[in-house]
Amino acid sequence: MLDGRPFDILDYLRRDLMPHFLCPGCGHGIALRALLWAVHETGIAKDRLAVISGIGCAGRLAAYIDANTFHVPHGRALPFATGLKIARPDLAVVVLTGDGDCLAIGGNHLIHACRRNLDLTCVMLNNEVYGMTGGQVSPTTGAGRLTTTTPQGNREPAFDACGLAEAAGAGLVGRELTLHPPTLKNVIKEGLAHPGFSFIEVMSDCTEIFGRKNEMGSSGEMILSQASAMRPTSYGSRGATAPFHPNAFPTGVLARNERPEYGAHLRAASASDDGHD
Amino acid sequence: MSDRPTNVLIVGVGGQGVILVSKVLTEVCQARGLAVKQSEVHGMAKRGGAVFSHVRFGREIWSPTIAQGEADVLLALEWAEGLRWLGHLSRAGTLIADTRRIVPLAACLDRSWGAQPAYPRRSPEDLLAGIANGFAIDATGIAMDLGNARVANTVVLGALSAVLGQPAEDWQPVLARNVPPKTVEVNHAAFARGRAWIESRPEPRPAASPPARQPVGATAPMNGVRLVITESWCKGCDICVKMCPERCLALNGAQVVELSDAGACTGCRVCEWLCPDFAITVDRGGQEPRA
Ligand code: SF4
Ligand code: SF4
Ligand code: SF4
Repeated sequence: MLDGRPFDILDYLRRDLMPHFLCPGCGHGIALRALLWAVHETGIAKDRLAVISGIGCAGRLAAYIDANTFHVPHGRALPFATGLKIARPDLAVVVLTGDGDCLAIGGNHLIHACRRNLDLTCVMLNNEVYGMTGGQVSPTTGAGRLTTTTPQGNREPAFDACGLAEAAGAGLVGRELTLHPPTLKNVIKEGLAHPGFSFIEVMSDCTEIFGRKNEMGSSGEMILSQASAMRPTSYGSRGATAPFHPNAFPTGVLARNERPEYGAHLRAASASDDGHD
Repeated sequence: MSDRPTNVLIVGVGGQGVILVSKVLTEVCQARGLAVKQSEVHGMAKRGGAVFSHVRFGREIWSPTIAQGEADVLLALEWAEGLRWLGHLSRAGTLIADTRRIVPLAACLDRSWGAQPAYPRRSPEDLLAGIANGFAIDATGIAMDLGNARVANTVVLGALSAVLGQPAEDWQPVLARNVPPKTVEVNHAAFARGRAWIESRPEPRPAASPPARQPVGATAPMNGVRLVITESWCKGCDICVKMCPERCLALNGAQVVELSDAGACTGCRVCEWLCPDFAITVDRGGQEPRA
């Protein structure tokens, strides 16, 4: 927190790069604000914050943050962050990634990051599509959705990213919509506070590419329609809905898994090794 | 020469001779025993597209490209290309731009009656006011005066040699061996005219402070709430218009948000939270609601 001041996003932006490159109404902007808001409320100084992002529309966001930011090769944000966090445990390391970057190109890195449980916060912006490259089907595209590579509708089931992260051992797993920024901020805060690997999926809207192709209306209508089909965990037990349509996924903090944190474990092990040689 | 490299960015469109200019500059620096790196992009040149070339020289050069805000000299053979690259010019840098405009085809697609080409309309005076050392030279006019419009690049090259403060004798032989033999004479004349043009200018002015980046429109406080709208960041997506619980926002004719019913705004911050472009800030004068 900057001297106890209330949150002002301008304090956290590289203002000379604004306005950002996102299309009008792109939910990624809302998610970026929520992330920075959570950082502010958690009290992480900008010098202590490192944001790593891969490639894609979500991948560009790190560049707009006035902190230590890195834009790394496609899918490799998590391994880069892993190295950084091990070398600099004093930094709060956040990975900002998209569904393609995190689940397809970097999918293997995700499961191993969950398995290791290093203290990272991975915020995955899920817009169900490869927006930057023109709208190809992604691992999270809902069944039946139209994309440039599924002109007859997607015949593959969508990935439940949170289910994957939980099964692979992530310390904290959560999902939220862009429609409720304060709630989204709170879920990200939980992730930042958790001493282990936290995976947060943000249901974002790609209005220009995905929304247009699927006739989902204006940006406002699109985020509303996402919300109407979402189901906060407080309204029922999770897992009851068939996970084939992302809009039927539950939201909130979905799982906590108290396991040893990898960084501390590694440091303890190497300290005792040093004694032996 | 100091240890800091000198960065010269040369921009223009296909056919103007950007590459020739950078080649001459590179060879002159080499002849003076300096390390030089030059890199260029000219893929679209044949279509009259953008061409640019980075030249860096000094005692030791590592990176071949010039970062934003680090060009000591921006040499623009075409006006709009100069504007496009202005962000690369350093605060104390020098801009030399030919004022001739080459309007690209794509800027003329609106064929309705009286349509203006979509070409930047900033006047040279307006532009130069915000730059430490700016020279808007009608190089093409000078070249035509010499009977060959194609030597406009050499006029600009002459201007560059003067700005860099290097003797003309270093440049003339290099120029002569890089141009077609029949045009050596007219090129020498063009070089001399460009150099003389700079030398006849008054001393450069101190750098003007850069213009403010953010025009901000703020409404008068209503109900203790003030809406601060950064108009240039709003992309007119209408999320705030749709989501404002009081329905007090609207898009104006320019598709930019405005407060249409100031009395109704409760300062709930929904618009601020949901604007993907951070264009709205709700100022409650320190009175924070529970979030
Ligand atoms: S292509 Fe889609 S995801 Fe990318 S910036 Fe545009 S709306 Fe956002
Ligand atoms: S603060 Fe609330 S009431 Fe006021 S314009 Fe924004 S959304 Fe509407
Ligand atoms: S949400 Fe932001 S970008 Fe969209 S119309 Fe409103 S002010 Fe403009």
